[in-house]
Amino acid sequence: MARPTIAWFKLLLRFAVDAIVAQRGRSVLTILGMAIGTASVVGVVSIGLLGREYVVGLIEGVGSNLVFAYGTGRGVNPEEIEFDDLPALEREVSGIAAMAPVLLHAELLPIAGEVRQVTVLGVTPAYERVRNMVVESGRFFNVSEEARGEKVCVISEDLAVELFGTPEMRSASLRLFGLRFRIVGVYREGVESAAAVQKSEAAGLAALIPFSTFRNLSDVRYADVVYIQAASPAAVPDVVEGVTAVLAARHRNISNFKIESLDQYLVLAQRVSRAVTLGLTAIAAVSLFVGGIGIMNIMLVTVSERTSDIGIRLALGAGTRAIMVQFLLEAAILSLVGGVLGVILGAGLPLYIGLLYGVAVPVSGLSVLIAFTVSVGVGLFFGYYPARKAAGMNIVDALGYT
Amino acid sequence: MAGPPVIELEGVRKTYVKEGATVHALRGIDMVIRAGEFAAIMGRSGSGKSTLLHIIGLLDAEYEGTYRFDGAPVADRSPEVLARRRNRDIGFVFQSFHLLPTLTILENAALPALYAGDRSVEECRAVARRRLEEMGLGARLDHRPGELSNGQRQRAALARALVNEPRVLLADEPTGALDSKTSDEILQIMIELNRGGATLVLVTHDREVAEVAERTIFIRDGQTDDRLV
Repeated sequence: MARPTIAWFKLLLRFAVDAIVAQRGRSVLTILGMAIGTASVVGVVSIGLLGREYVVGLIEGVGSNLVFAYGTGRGVNPEEIEFDDLPALEREVSGIAAMAPVLLHAELLPIAGEVRQVTVLGVTPAYERVRNMVVESGRFFNVSEEARGEKVCVISEDLAVELFGTPEMRSASLRLFGLRFRIVGVYREGVESAAAVQKSEAAGLAALIPFSTFRNLSDVRYADVVYIQAASPAAVPDVVEGVTAVLAARHRNISNFKIESLDQYLVLAQRVSRAVTLGLTAIAAVSLFVGGIGIMNIMLVTVSERTSDIGIRLALGAGTRAIMVQFLLEAAILSLVGGVLGVILGAGLPLYIGLLYGVAVPVSGLSVLIAFTVSVGVGLFFGYYPARKAAGMNIVDALGYT
Repeated sequence: MAGPPVIELEGVRKTYVKEGATVHALRGIDMVIRAGEFAAIMGRSGSGKSTLLHIIGLLDAEYEGTYRFDGAPVADRSPEVLARRRNRDIGFVFQSFHLLPTLTILENAALPALYAGDRSVEECRAVARRRLEEMGLGARLDHRPGELSNGQRQRAALARALVNEPRVLLADEPTGALDSKTSDEILQIMIELNRGGATLVLVTHDREVAEVAERTIFIRDGQTDDRLV
């Protein structure tokens, strides 16, 4: 009985490698087939992940752990979030890290001889963090400016470009509500295309002024929208529930309000990207399968071509197990080398292109591992039948006696 | 000079179906070959001599009757066990050499030792080298079979057959593909081996070849035939 010792295994491995090298042209083509199959699996998963990361980045860029509430303004008796609601929410809903109510007003301003509409938002300093705003130059207004109702403003990058021709902050003022507001900073949104997810209130030509200043200068009676940052991702559902409960208790009809979190968008985005990735992976798996068929085909040809080789080895006392293992190893090596090349191709190419364009391309270690294991598995699976055929040969027939 | 029996056949029959017709290849063979003997099995083509050799060589396990090898019945006829016995106890020489064309003759000769698996690769190669040198092929170790003459190929095959020091050497028409000069050369080597104590069984249809053996067993229509042909 041949014992499967390490030396025995090494010997068969050598025989397998020798055989692969002896028919190198054919081996290279077989390996190529496997490499393409594996590369498409790894590549597709990378593309799927990249897509998901992009969309998730967009959504999360709007603000992390964000919950927002607003009156729909529709219905028979529309209701809005009253100022009195704000302290109530802060007091009664647990799990809130920060709250940023937003007041909205459209102002027509002459800019470079043209009348343009500028969105004026009354916000608290917390808005900067809650909505993930980036101050490009200058600064955001602070708590004391907010408390005193000072006439300061932070303007959007777009507005800065319209006013100054550059996104850089200049000492200048803006005429809002008929009064002069000192510009203290220029902001942009944390994610460039946050507007792609949902039209952002702070996009385009916009100026942020302190919440209290806005209230003092207008007869506004309600907040257009309230952004609430939950303390943690896990707290988001509780906050949604809490806000709903408080608003329901303080108003006639809760259906006049919308209380949403980005979670629903995230879940949706992830579901879509998962479906897309799954679909693409199925297609890629077909090519892996085709590669496997290629291996089986080549191994079957090899076995019938090497009938006399196998017969001689069996006659010299190679056990059926030794022949079987040798042919399985040949198939496994072909698919493993193909798998390695495929991973290099499927992961390396996106990484390289990502490097060229400065995009961080996610390569899933799991997908590499799976592609790797699957390709070896494919080799063993599709190599089994030819190997069994080789090992089960009738020696006398194989030696050419009939 | 003859020692204990190495090969003992009792009522060995082999029947197979070929193209719908039942062929009785062996019809009850009784035969004893003792250690140190040089026996020739002779018969015409189709007499069943090759079939007999395959059974003796444990290449074919499908037969009826009793086969005792080295005094013990060949009871376990599973492929792995037979492979092990072929590897250890039997050396083969074939008419068409059956060397592996992609390997050098050193690698070819080392194969049975490698498959035995109880020596290191280096030891196996060393033994194979010694056997090849004994056959006068010391200068051709790294040649492939395709680069050698037929006589050299058969000597390489002999070296391979002897590498595991088998109990018996089976030669199936070993000179069938050789001219008379190299033929004599190979037969001379076999005679030398027998003088050195090796047990040899030679299968041939050629009376001249059979004459080098000390004993000839005639096969006719699947039976041993005591009449001189």
